[in-house]
Amino acid sequence: MNARSNIVWGIVAVAFIVFLLSPIVLLVVFSFTSRTLTNFPIEGLSLRWWQEMMVTRQFWPAFANSLIIGLCVALVSAVVGTLAAMGLAAMPKRRASIIMALLTLPVMLPPLVLGVALLSFYVTIDLKLGLPTVILSHVLFAQPFVILIVHARMVNFDPRVVESARDLGATPLQAFFTVTLPIIRPVVIGAALIAMALSIDDFIITFFTIGTGNTLPTLVWGMIRTGLTPAVNAIGTLILLLTIGSTVIALQLTRYRG
Amino acid sequence: MENRSTYWLVAPSALIFAVLFIAPMAFFVLVSFWQVEYFELNTEPTIGNYRDVFANYWHVMSFTVAVATATALLTTLLGFAFSFLARFRAGEWAQVLLFIVLITLFGGYLMKIYAWKTILGNEGVLNSALMAMGIISSPITSLLYSPQAVVVTLMHFSLPFAVLPIYASMRGISDSEVEAARDLGAGRWPILSTVIVPRCQSGIVAAFSFVFLMVGGDYVTPLLVGGKLTMIGNLIAPQFGAQFNWPLGAAMSIVMLIAAVVVIYLFRLLVALWSRQ
Repeated sequence: MNARSNIVWGIVAVAFIVFLLSPIVLLVVFSFTSRTLTNFPIEGLSLRWWQEMMVTRQFWPAFANSLIIGLCVALVSAVVGTLAAMGLAAMPKRRASIIMALLTLPVMLPPLVLGVALLSFYVTIDLKLGLPTVILSHVLFAQPFVILIVHARMVNFDPRVVESARDLGATPLQAFFTVTLPIIRPVVIGAALIAMALSIDDFIITFFTIGTGNTLPTLVWGMIRTGLTPAVNAIGTLILLLTIGSTVIALQLTRYRG
Repeated sequence: MENRSTYWLVAPSALIFAVLFIAPMAFFVLVSFWQVEYFELNTEPTIGNYRDVFANYWHVMSFTVAVATATALLTTLLGFAFSFLARFRAGEWAQVLLFIVLITLFGGYLMKIYAWKTILGNEGVLNSALMAMGIISSPITSLLYSPQAVVVTLMHFSLPFAVLPIYASMRGISDSEVEAARDLGAGRWPILSTVIVPRCQSGIVAAFSFVFLMVGGDYVTPLLVGGKLTMIGNLIAPQFGAQFNWPLGAAMSIVMLIAAVVVIYLFRLLVALWSRQ
């Protein structure tokens, strides 16, 4: 009886894993196919679609934009989010959770609504659309993740180590840089990587707030809409490499598990 | 002194939130009461856009709510099953399952939808694999560009968002609670229904809300795998591009958000009722 139910649950687990991962795995596999059609049987492996990606004129500017935006978003939301997390950790629990819920609202909203609301706002206040407006928009939905992750670490943080540094004559800033930061550094870096992954992955909000120009996802969108080439799979694999890669490192650093 | 500096630390985040969220959303609500005339915004307040939404786009709106409700229910159910598996049945494999959910959470929104397009197409992965194995002789043409394709794709990218809140609340249930119920003679189903589900209420509602909102506003999935299917997002997006009718687009968005709040509230009542019996 028990052995049978174990087998059933095992099958369910495998089914879940296949459902979650197979589309992603197929995308990666088909970026190395030698044919134009993305289907079976795969007749041969080649790097031709990766080569085609490299010579696609719009690829390099889009790649550069994605990296610039991702790094800026990581940096800004790490600084801003860490400050907020420290502030919230020192507040009464109830108040902190209300503020946190408010700051998380932009994540709850459908990205389309956020994107078009930001677009009409930027245009109305005469802010020129471009990389800066994308970065601002991304920080808005990335900072709640940084706050959540760093806050989870800060509430387990023993305030006495900072107090003893202060008693020994350290200024608040000195205490932060010599005591607090070294302890929470891995978590902050991990949270920054998550912010970067979210930013590089975002399509909808970027699409509405970038004006002209491309990031990798908006380039992929253009290519999908104008006709399929497996070069899309190569760029998609690159996006996955950047986002899932940084998430994996982040999970190692933060030990954050939900 | 110490206390005030605590609030200053939150100030940068709060400023970003106020300037880039509160202000744009307030403006967005305002715009929904304006009108476009000759490609200019007329700021005379009117409820004409809302009347327009109810008169002309009602079927798209109700179709969207139906798809979002179905997807959110199914995904929450799957998310619950996954969380149950990870929490109570998987043992040390729980870490692996959770890891997979987390890495699929943060990456590949557009690529996942695109992958389903290549999987379900006539000359796609599924049909070609089935034909190569000799199971079918001609492609099943109804896989792509159907409501089922839309729902499966939406479920795929929203499942991780459903798992996390439910798993988080399941982690709060101790093994001893479940054992106590079993010792008192409760069978498997009663334990699930009267012990586990009530303890996961907030997680279940959060999962449903996440998925419903994400799906209700999605326009990429219907475009890529839905064929002629139109969801409200497909009507909203062009209002901010080629069609240039911000007020109408804003009104559509707000009606959709209000519908979402109503459905989520009803779902919450349902879960609370279940838990009370």
